[in-house]
Amino acid sequence: MAQDKAAAILAALGGGDNVVEIEPCITRLRCEVEDGSLIDEAALKAAGAHGVMKQGTVVQVVVGPEADTLAEDIEDLR
Amino acid sequence: MSVEVGSPVAGLAAALGEVPDPVFSQAMVGPGMAIKPSGGRADAVAPIAGTVMTLHPHAFVIASSGGTAVLVHLGIDTVKLKGEGFELHVAKGDVVEAGQRIVSWDPSEVESHGYSSICPVIALEVAPEALADVREDGQVATGDVLFTVSA
Repeated sequence: MAQDKAAAILAALGGGDNVVEIEPCITRLRCEVEDGSLIDEAALKAAGAHGVMKQGTVVQVVVGPEADTLAEDIEDLR
Repeated sequence: MSVEVGSPVAGLAAALGEVPDPVFSQAMVGPGMAIKPSGGRADAVAPIAGTVMTLHPHAFVIASSGGTAVLVHLGIDTVKLKGEGFELHVAKGDVVEAGQRIVSWDPSEVESHGYSSICPVIALEVAPEALADVREDGQVATGDVLFTVSA
């Protein structure tokens, strides 16, 4: 289940090749991507994000306190 | 069953809407309130009794046995300080009492780095109606009840 969510979030970020860095904070994933236009906000929300804040190539995905685990799962998939 | 949530720090109580971060001000991860800390280096304490579920130098989550989880965030964007100036006194998975010290930190030092030192105290993933007896404003001492959460 958690793996599915991680996979869905990674896909919505434009896939593993588009992700430069993911840093988990306590409530959110701070992600830096190559191409900001590949970010699919609707898909991130569908994957369970409470909110998405996008500024250019940096996107913060609000996922709640499971951010740490999710970030690890996403790293495993990359 | 309801759980009393105590203030992790001493300072001035404020509404979440005053927190300069949309995740907290828009209550994306849950309702709660915020404290503007007063004074210099101090301990931030556990708002409730429970297990340390998540622990960063600048933020932590305590979960009660009844399932209520409370997030305390020490300042805004303080993840960028990478733990500098924060001293942890517990480990992830530890069982703590309400009022037990979790982290020592210095709000004035955080401010000197250009970050807000305001501390959101959030009841994670509950409806706003789950909060009662919310402290409106004014000075609070460490451990003063900020609100109660019904699980």
